[in-house]
Amino acid sequence: MKKNIYRPFEAVVEDIISETPTIKTFVFRPKEPFSFRTGQFIELTVPGIGEAPFTPSSDPNITERFDVTIMKVGRVTELLHGITKGTTLGVRGPYGKGYPLDKFYGKDVLIVGGGVGLAPLRSLLFSLFAGIDKYNKVVLRYGSRTSGDIVYKEAIPEWAKKKKVNLVTTVDVGDPSWKGNVGLVTTILKDLPVDLNNAVAIVCGPPIMMKFVTMKLLDLGFKPEQIYLSMEKSMSCGLGKCGHCRIGKFYACKDGPVFTYEELKDIHDIWD
Amino acid sequence: METYFLKSTDIFKFYDRIASEYELYVPVRVKTPVKVKCEYQSHLPTDDYLLKKYSEANKEEVCFNEYRCVEPTARAFFTHFKEEVCDYFAHPPKEAKDKPIALCGVKNCDIFSTRIQDFVFLGGIDEDPVYKARRENALIISGDCPNFKEACFCRAFEINPHCNEGFDFNFSPLTDGFLVDVGSERAGKLAGLIKDMLVPAGFGQLSGRQAKRETLIRQMESHLAHHKIPRKETLQEIVLAGYNSKIWNEEMFTCVECGGCIFICDTCHCFFLSDEPRDGNTKRYRAWDGCLLKNFSRVAGGANPLKMRHMRLRNRYMKKFDFFVDNLGVQACCGCGRCIEVCPGKIDIRHILRKLYEEKHLPAV
Ligand code: SF4
Ligand code: SF4
Ligand code: FES
Repeated sequence: MKKNIYRPFEAVVEDIISETPTIKTFVFRPKEPFSFRTGQFIELTVPGIGEAPFTPSSDPNITERFDVTIMKVGRVTELLHGITKGTTLGVRGPYGKGYPLDKFYGKDVLIVGGGVGLAPLRSLLFSLFAGIDKYNKVVLRYGSRTSGDIVYKEAIPEWAKKKKVNLVTTVDVGDPSWKGNVGLVTTILKDLPVDLNNAVAIVCGPPIMMKFVTMKLLDLGFKPEQIYLSMEKSMSCGLGKCGHCRIGKFYACKDGPVFTYEELKDIHDIWD
Repeated sequence: METYFLKSTDIFKFYDRIASEYELYVPVRVKTPVKVKCEYQSHLPTDDYLLKKYSEANKEEVCFNEYRCVEPTARAFFTHFKEEVCDYFAHPPKEAKDKPIALCGVKNCDIFSTRIQDFVFLGGIDEDPVYKARRENALIISGDCPNFKEACFCRAFEINPHCNEGFDFNFSPLTDGFLVDVGSERAGKLAGLIKDMLVPAGFGQLSGRQAKRETLIRQMESHLAHHKIPRKETLQEIVLAGYNSKIWNEEMFTCVECGGCIFICDTCHCFFLSDEPRDGNTKRYRAWDGCLLKNFSRVAGGANPLKMRHMRLRNRYMKKFDFFVDNLGVQACCGCGRCIEVCPGKIDIRHILRKLYEEKHLPAV
């Protein structure tokens, strides 16, 4: 049977974890064999309503289930937040190239996340942890708006305890219950325990955060080809056809969604 | 390539033969009372041609179109404006059950555009099954342009107003009939079935055709000289250099955001997938979309990188003259002029390209 590129396959929602008031993690059991590489994305279908792109946030080595962490921001995500366990949704994908893990081997891997941008990065972290001997160290810097907006609250302290991991978090706006750093994520990028000559930086978060983090990293001495960015674009097909996700000569869906800053730096208005 | 002569009086026999195997579309003339204003030339034709199902057309209205039809031929017959592409979880992929189509009246600008559409729908990370089935089974019957409209500018991009490849049959009109080129194996088989109508073309007929083709190119080039359209080699450079130009804004004052330009364009291809309940089931549709429309690039949450109209105009040119040049090696514009004729705001791609060029370089020759 010829494959229909537009057909979603079924996946059942097995569990729903509330991360913050506006962010939930959905655990899916796919009804067809499904696996992805970290950083690749899927198109999630709410039957009868439509699709939206998401990057799975779970460990790619686990194939019988996958997680998607979703912030309520639009029509489809709002509906997703309303669904209950046992609901069947549709999935197409995985699409895109994902993170080139082999390029990170032997290096200091700096990961900078903002808000719900930690979702794709969690999948990356699981992949790094699974093969931690291959990397020199993992340095994670994570910022969220307030302490209530932190995702994976229980997991973060566990990650901090892992070998070769250095982890610092911050919130933009403090509150009495928060004992940690206060300030934008760029403020915790000082004195990074990384060797610039042997490091890569991976950034994921809202466009404005990615812009300022990229500028900061360049200031610190990172080269454009050492910085990996996850580009958020309007998407529809995921197949390099519909034209929605163009960035310069690239399509984010097919050539990305992860790009080095080197690939993007000469393209106009990439942060818009 | 074999070339034959077909008498005018046999044309309907030819059509009947094709129509027995294909859903044949043929050009019909639509008279336009409006005369296009053109300061330096008054004799350019203004009538339009539409493609109509042969089975539904009156013989009297069927004609040989002098230039391209109104419909974006390379696009509209292979992807429909809005069509079902998937029956959701309920399996078998949609197969094109329809009779294969045969398109008559295709011109060389349309043939050029099929390269763009093929790149999109047969390329990417996978093939679009609906497009593929239609495209592979379609019979392309092209024709020389014995005339051109004011808006035609194919030759500015070195696209000829006659076809040398990319067709099954090509028709070149002579006084009492047509020269018919047989451009594919499939066409060769069909030609074998109608041998009695076809006589090998004579040397005089072939050189007569050549002379006609050359004359038309000369006429068109003298017409295009007035428009000073930059050469195709400069297009990518001028759109990139003019990224922050005021031209985009100035030219967009009269846009009413109707979407005409993107939907009538033979080389535009963007679409979106939409899910709708139908017949107690949900169906997925592929519907044409385009960057001149306000919400084209809006993301969940509301951010819109193309929020201003001038950004959308610029995006269209970046896609056509930067993205496609990088990815396919050719510009995604065939010079058909359809967008010029359709635009209620009189926004003219020839004029915009010329202004971009003149802003960055010395005035064009
Ligand atoms: S941009 Fe205009 S002239 Fe060029 S192919 Fe499209 S409709 Fe034709
Ligand atoms: S056809 Fe003209 S008015 Fe309509 S969207 Fe295009 S540029 Fe604007
Ligand atoms: S999402 Fe359709 S081309 Fe990228």
